[in-house]
Amino acid sequence: MKQTSIWLSLLLLLAPACVQSQPWKFTKPIAISSNHGEKIFHHLESSGRHNIAISADTVAVAWEDNRDGTPRIYLARKGRNSKVFLDSIKISGAGEAYEPSLVALSNNQFVLSWEEDARIHLRLVTPSKLGPVITLAASEAAQPSLTYFDSQLLLVYARRDNRYSRIWMQDIEVDGQELHLKKACVVDSDPPQNEQSYPSIIKLPDRKIVAWEDRRLGHTIIMAAQSDKKKSCRFHSPQRISDALPNRTAKYGTGHGVARVALAQFGAGKVLAAWADKRDFREGYDIYAAHYQPNGKQLFTPNIKVQDSFGDVAQQWHTTVAGDQSGRLVVGWDDKRDGDANIMLSWLEGNNWSEDLAVPGADGPGEQNHPTISIDQEGNLHLAWVERTTINGPSQLRYLFGRLNKE
Amino acid sequence: MRAILLLIITFLAMPVIAKPPHGYPFQSFDKAMQQAQSEHKPLFVYFGRQGCGYCDLTNKQAFSDKQVREAYSKHYVLAYVDSESGKRLLLPSGERVTERELGTRYNAFVTPVFTFMTTDGQSLLRLVGVQRIIDLREADTKVQQLLSKPAIP
Repeated sequence: MKQTSIWLSLLLLLAPACVQSQPWKFTKPIAISSNHGEKIFHHLESSGRHNIAISADTVAVAWEDNRDGTPRIYLARKGRNSKVFLDSIKISGAGEAYEPSLVALSNNQFVLSWEEDARIHLRLVTPSKLGPVITLAASEAAQPSLTYFDSQLLLVYARRDNRYSRIWMQDIEVDGQELHLKKACVVDSDPPQNEQSYPSIIKLPDRKIVAWEDRRLGHTIIMAAQSDKKKSCRFHSPQRISDALPNRTAKYGTGHGVARVALAQFGAGKVLAAWADKRDFREGYDIYAAHYQPNGKQLFTPNIKVQDSFGDVAQQWHTTVAGDQSGRLVVGWDDKRDGDANIMLSWLEGNNWSEDLAVPGADGPGEQNHPTISIDQEGNLHLAWVERTTINGPSQLRYLFGRLNKE
Repeated sequence: MRAILLLIITFLAMPVIAKPPHGYPFQSFDKAMQQAQSEHKPLFVYFGRQGCGYCDLTNKQAFSDKQVREAYSKHYVLAYVDSESGKRLLLPSGERVTERELGTRYNAFVTPVFTFMTTDGQSLLRLVGVQRIIDLREADTKVQQLLSKPAIP
């Protein structure tokens, strides 16, 4: 009894230190959309999980919901200091629309790309108007993902070419308040041997890096390729970046499963790829990552587990990752280690990943899942997620702000 | 030595596709759900993934059994879900989700997971991992007993 009291006292003494070591102080969550109720389902889904972005004074969140009976894309915005999101605006057209990718330009402007009627669509949104919808006229395509860096807007997506989907990159010019399609190229020039899907892209000053899911080996692996420094629409041969595990037996089949890679840039030219990885075949998906460190042979480092050991007994889903120019890097996901689905974060501390944090306000009874995160120029964290009280019940969208603790 | 090498080569050449077993009328989840609702039959949902070794093993050592095939084809509407796929499905609630998301909802954290399900999506029984003939037969008996019990008023 005495020993228990001593341990409890020690824990209580240490608790404030743990709280203080968090990089962010979180505000109370707020609703993103007032459109919710029976039979309305919100989805914060996109290839690379880019559903939240910050431009100048504006925070924006893009999602899909079926408030009028058809899945459509919506965008809600708020001022950075405002506690309320403005009414959402419909972005997509008349068709069924899914998986919007959102990216911030300068001056409170944003670009969205989404799938509608099996085609990729794009639209610029400024504070005062919605730009025209641009449709990529190619064949059946899905899973768009955007990035914007150094005044260059890039889109990757999975396009069905004959039997299989393969990853394409589209260069887009931002001309004032207009978007113009420029060069497009296939990322892996070899004929696809199986499905390629769910791409994510990062632009560095002299190259682009694309990562995606690939089934060429008879199971899903994560592949990546970087563009040629001289020919911007030409990529070098792709490499597998999710580990191939040796000494495995027939029970693993052709190999273990991985899913939904997300890329983020941080610091000067650093890039992290993170995904859900089922190499632990007893406990399901964990969050694994690899750093972009090209050494002439390999583009990325061997894989590292991001979550802490307390997370090993739970399954991790919906990997999201964000970084900033000063070198901050954070990975988010949801898991049920505490019984409920909670939003979890782990951030890079030197060369190690922090202990996992259940985000206050995005945890507790019910389901909090499908996180999407972004870090603004001051290092503050912006988080949006989907909340439900029952597994297949109606949903709501939530947002909270993590103010950077200034030391 | 040559025999071992031949065995390794033979094993590597084996197609481990982990698709639903042959001879069963597996279909997509939403089509199966529609059929189950119109025929008032429970569903048997197979959550697999491409390259899943335990799925392939279960297909070979358990679903190959004639009695299992007859019982499962007769008693259930059969659905197959690739739990890493982005293919979209319509749920009974009217929500559209991907196959992967359906796997998340029903906690298909490993493969295979087999879920016996009512037509409103409630799970009756779950089998996780590789299964033997006896496991599938016993699960069928258990679910049939559960369904034959009168509903609690």
